[in-house]
Amino acid sequence: MELLIVAVFVAGYILIALEHPIRINKTATALLTGVICWTIFMVSGPTESLLHSTEYSELAQKSHATVSGAGADMEVHREYVIHSLREHLAEIAEILFFLMGAMTIVELVDSHRGFKLITDRIRTKNPKTLLWVICWVTFILSAILDNLTTTIVMVSLTRKLVANRDTRLFFAGLIVVAANAGGAWSPIGDVTTTMLWIGGQITASSIIKSLIIPSVVCMLVPLVFLSFTMKGTLGEGKTPGHDEKTPRTANLMLVVGVSALISVPVFKTLTHLPPYLGMMLGLGVLWVVSEIVNPDLDESEKKHFTAVHALSRIDMPSVLFFLGILLAVSSLQSMHLLQDFAVYLNDTVGDNRIIITLIGMLSAIVDNVPLVAASMGMYSMDVYPTDHLIWEYLAYCAGTGGSLLVIGSAAGVAAMGMEKIDFIWYVKKITLLAAVGYFAGAATYLFLTHI
Amino acid sequence: MNTLIIVVFIIGYVLIALEHPIKINKTATAILTGVVCWTLFVFMEPSPVLLNSKAFTDFKDILSIERTEGEIAATPTDEIHKEFVSYELNEHLAAIAQILFFLLGAMTIVELVDAHRGFRYITDRIQTRNPQTLLWIVCFVTFFLSAILDNLTTSIVMVSLIRKLIPDKEMRLTFAGMIVIAANAGGAWTPIGDVTTTMLWIGGQVSTAAIMASLFIPSLICLLVPVIVLGFRLKGKTLQIAEPPHTTSEVKGGRLMLFLGVGALVSVPVFKTLTHLPPYLGMLCGLGILWVVSEVLHSGLDDVAKKNYTVAGALSRVDVPSVLFFLGILLAVGSLESMQLLNQFAAYLDRTLGDQRIIITLIGVMSAIVDNVPLVAASMGMYSLATYPTDHMIWEYLAYCAGTGGSILIIGSAAGVAVMGMEKVDFIWYLKKISVLALLGYLGGALVYVITHNVNT
Repeated sequence: MELLIVAVFVAGYILIALEHPIRINKTATALLTGVICWTIFMVSGPTESLLHSTEYSELAQKSHATVSGAGADMEVHREYVIHSLREHLAEIAEILFFLMGAMTIVELVDSHRGFKLITDRIRTKNPKTLLWVICWVTFILSAILDNLTTTIVMVSLTRKLVANRDTRLFFAGLIVVAANAGGAWSPIGDVTTTMLWIGGQITASSIIKSLIIPSVVCMLVPLVFLSFTMKGTLGEGKTPGHDEKTPRTANLMLVVGVSALISVPVFKTLTHLPPYLGMMLGLGVLWVVSEIVNPDLDESEKKHFTAVHALSRIDMPSVLFFLGILLAVSSLQSMHLLQDFAVYLNDTVGDNRIIITLIGMLSAIVDNVPLVAASMGMYSMDVYPTDHLIWEYLAYCAGTGGSLLVIGSAAGVAAMGMEKIDFIWYVKKITLLAAVGYFAGAATYLFLTHI
Repeated sequence: MNTLIIVVFIIGYVLIALEHPIKINKTATAILTGVVCWTLFVFMEPSPVLLNSKAFTDFKDILSIERTEGEIAATPTDEIHKEFVSYELNEHLAAIAQILFFLLGAMTIVELVDAHRGFRYITDRIQTRNPQTLLWIVCFVTFFLSAILDNLTTSIVMVSLIRKLIPDKEMRLTFAGMIVIAANAGGAWTPIGDVTTTMLWIGGQVSTAAIMASLFIPSLICLLVPVIVLGFRLKGKTLQIAEPPHTTSEVKGGRLMLFLGVGALVSVPVFKTLTHLPPYLGMLCGLGILWVVSEVLHSGLDDVAKKNYTVAGALSRVDVPSVLFFLGILLAVGSLESMQLLNQFAAYLDRTLGDQRIIITLIGVMSAIVDNVPLVAASMGMYSLATYPTDHMIWEYLAYCAGTGGSILIIGSAAGVAVMGMEKVDFIWYLKKISVLALLGYLGGALVYVITHNVNT
């Protein structure tokens, strides 16, 4: 039955990767995979290796005191499955409510056109200067916002500033690299780093300290290279966008929204409560502000600026996708399959650093969320405590490795959709740059932690 | 400190009830209340009652598995209190997440069927012109529909139906009021029909077969009393003929989606019984299947045309603010429970009022004013499963009272609020014309339940 579950998991994974050709939304596949894995696990009884694990035998000892006779083993097994499912659900819910809060805050600021205040300031006409400005803004913005939103905001900006399509594609490619690099080093910038932070594998201050230089290197290498080789002009743009009216509340919402996001780590440090509560606090405050900030508008005008409207635009399918895929991975973890796999990898590959570098590259093909979830299950916190090298390095690799292919990260997929970037074009023009950046950053990290 | 948290909770509650006059969305208030309560809980000096409570000593037992006696004795009480808070919060989050993902799945399935205009296959069959007959049909369709779907969707579907059938405004309002009563009554007796009954089911307080067997007749009485009384009033009246309902174009696969959607919802309890896994997994499984079917069904359409009929489109119409409202309010109630305040309150109520049936009946009446979700969550925290096992009378009676009591006022239930929005039902009008009927039904059903269960025990 271990084989069966692994087969279901792999089949689900393949269907998710083939989302576009088979035209089945990956969220549907992920949900079904998650449910089926747990169902098989529940009905089929414990495996050999599970029976010998310490958690299982502890539970069995406790339960055998109360239940006995025929069917007692199944009773213990059920209890174990329900118990571990509950544990995992609590962890998953922490991540999902965190994400929902963050996405709503960003959406709410965006509906007040708060980000225009930043993007409107970029006015240069020199392609190289513009490339530098855009990459740095993306890098810093994506450390605070999620990568997806940052990419969407920045790509729509380049649309207004860069009329020449060939040049614009290079900009879009580098925005993907910069967004992924910028997300990796901050606990609120990227789903995978956030997962490690919520799970207690890393702390806010030390991840920022250790990863900021490698992440900068990861972006700078392609940027420097491209600013020497990139040819072509910006083209005659239209007069940059003063077409939309900025609501007078934009300023206030931007400030409140960004401070809400930034103060989440502060809230965690002060109260020791999980980060999603801090995010919810920020959302609640922003929500109230958004309701009282426009008292003179009537209901229908106000509607666009409310959190209710923002909530209808957040990416709920992604939230459910994470729910499904994290449930599936956690079933493998509860069966102790991931731990067994980690032992196997250790025996064959040896060095953790090599394994994690490979995980990063793998994340260009498969989604990085389950990869990180699996790694979190493979290595126990008892052996690798908080802020251990492997967690920080994992945050870096899983966060930036996705830039190697355009389909490798949420940012890439968004840019692909917006600018119709071709998969092959990206492989030819950007992948090599991204790879050099990825390895340069990795080398920097390993070098810095050695001294 | 306990007092401070109670004050915060009550202020939050008052602001939620005053949502419309003060124009602050109740979800924002609920979220803030939940977070502030937990934050205060972390920072407070643990009270002696808390330190001596069973929950706290149980937690120390859990700690003693991983640490030695000496280590625990060396940790200051303050530290243990902080760990206790995190542990309790985690437990509550797991319980809350089960309810929220269940709701999210159910709401999405219903939206998806609705996007395919699946419910028209039911509503199109109602063609009668006699007001009395129509009242019976509408009420019973609502009653059974809301046993499967949530009350909110049912009332929206049914009210949009009577809009087509009844042009007379006064008559239509009466029907709308009855739809509210029928939707609430229909939701109470099934584990999937209503948030509060679902909460009790997911929490293990009631089981599917028992709740349906015990509450079906009381719920039916709760609806029948008002229908019969109103039937006399409607006698002899005629219904103006409405324009024949103009048929909006059918959507491919509407019938299939209706079958699959209802099948998915109904099979959730079956999934739970077979696998012993929590219900939300069954709901997500159903959603996954419906999602795949809807994608295959419309694979010929291009992306833009497809958007309306896919789950992505349905998800953007799902009521996520309500989900976050539940998150906030359930977190807030959870903090009171973890502080052992609800236990103490239950003991106090027991001492002063005595009979639990009276307490629960009052809870039901109260649910007409305040939201029934936190009321039920609080009651679940007040009474422990150890004293009152699964399917104990108080749980079943609670499911009935909290589910149907909301009909007494128009603002007392989600169904009522939806109808108020759609038909501009006036608060006072409802109070004059419907409240008495609803109250009669509520007490009638309650009486039937109490009598039948006294005979049995």
